[in-house]
Amino acid sequence: MIASGGAVARVAALVLVGCILQISWLAAVRIFGATPDLIPLLVGAVALYAGAVSAATTGFFCGLVIDLVLATTPGASSLVLTLVGYGLGRYRDLRDPGHGLVPIPIAAVATAAYGIGLALVSFLLDRTSISGLAFQEVLLTVVLNAVVALPVFALVRRVLGPVLTVDPSEPRRRRRTVREKGPIGLRGLEV
Amino acid sequence: MYDKTAVRRRRAVLGVLVASSLVLLTFFFGDSVPTGLRAVQRGVQVVLSPLESGASRALKPFRDMAGWTGDVFYARGENERLRSEIARTRSELARAHTDARELAALRGLARLSRRVGYPGGTQPVTGRVIARSPTVWYSKAQINSGSDDGVEVGDPVVTRDGLVGRVSMVNGGSSVITLITDEQSAVSAQVMPGGSGGVVKPEVGKPNDLLLDYIERGRKVRRGTMVLTSGTASSKLESLFPRGIPIGRVRQVDPAEFELYQRVHIEPFADIRRLDFVQVLTDGPEAEEEEVSFR
Repeated sequence: MIASGGAVARVAALVLVGCILQISWLAAVRIFGATPDLIPLLVGAVALYAGAVSAATTGFFCGLVIDLVLATTPGASSLVLTLVGYGLGRYRDLRDPGHGLVPIPIAAVATAAYGIGLALVSFLLDRTSISGLAFQEVLLTVVLNAVVALPVFALVRRVLGPVLTVDPSEPRRRRRTVREKGPIGLRGLEV
Repeated sequence: MYDKTAVRRRRAVLGVLVASSLVLLTFFFGDSVPTGLRAVQRGVQVVLSPLESGASRALKPFRDMAGWTGDVFYARGENERLRSEIARTRSELARAHTDARELAALRGLARLSRRVGYPGGTQPVTGRVIARSPTVWYSKAQINSGSDDGVEVGDPVVTRDGLVGRVSMVNGGSSVITLITDEQSAVSAQVMPGGSGGVVKPEVGKPNDLLLDYIERGRKVRRGTMVLTSGTASSKLESLFPRGIPIGRVRQVDPAEFELYQRVHIEPFADIRRLDFVQVLTDGPEAEEEEVSFR
């Protein structure tokens, strides 16, 4: 992503709008016993389009806003979302995924990692008893998030588009086909 | 291309963010939070609460629409359950009227004073829920009533169905509620009419199943009986909750074969996941002790 004031403003707007929508609206929506979670989707989308550093920063501030607004332990969500964003961003940097459906697995992995990571941090902090139903709910949220991943990622891509240096979803230039006919010595080579 | 500067910068950013998270965790964990950090937290809440309030109101139709499908399926079973509950409640009410008259008579004879419980001595302040915790690991909510409306830290929060939680943080125009399903919540309670006392605690991930712990094994607790807040009479250890707020109904009793206490599972009356409006029970007119006379 191009490091500029515009880029920071766009990411900040995404964080703010995403957090407010999540805590004011989506947290109260129940679909098949689970709640869609926009925050890991947002972090996953920024990781896919803008890379590890932007995603880690987005994750940190998303977690911070949610923890500060709801007076939960600040730092817990930030820590998990920072690592989730960084991990997915590194995947993007190393593998450069370009398939049109790649937001779906990224959304699923981001949501699962966020749910499990937060469970781990909460358990380490409070030693509380955790019901198996909590993990069932995480699983349902993963499915819900995977279903809504494509439009959310498309929206994030649209917002970040003008400040992206490389867009992994853009159609790549097709490689020229390898020559399969002709003199034996030239077969398999691009001529 | 392998760019050393980019790699260093990337790792530095990650290090700074993780370190910041750990510093925040260290400062905020426990009870002694530095005043400056608490002020930052309050500031963020004050700035964002109007936005949350606006978003909550504007998006309510969409939220209701999403819940409508599930509600249709749920309503059929709910209707049957409510009919049987009304029948049971009618017979309980008749018995309660008789008991109340007898109690008043006995109090009059013994010259006992009556301690006013819920809802006496409280002044309810209604608030709209403007934000909720998005994960199952924390159960907190924010409402649009604050210290300007008389809300104070520790005030109990109820719906028309029963106890919801207590106020854990207050700003001028908003407050944060720690719900009874939050892992840090513990409510002293009594099973009625037997009077067995215990502590209601949640289990993370089960908002419709609270645990009433510390009930001795010998005590008989019947399925379907009501659980209320017990309050405490001691002035040194006053309960946060007034006596008599309905919490839920006993769903299942687990004898816990090798333990001293039995575990009682309670289904809360209030639907914690669908809170729109709540009432904060602020200190009302002084809860005076009444002298009851039998006529």
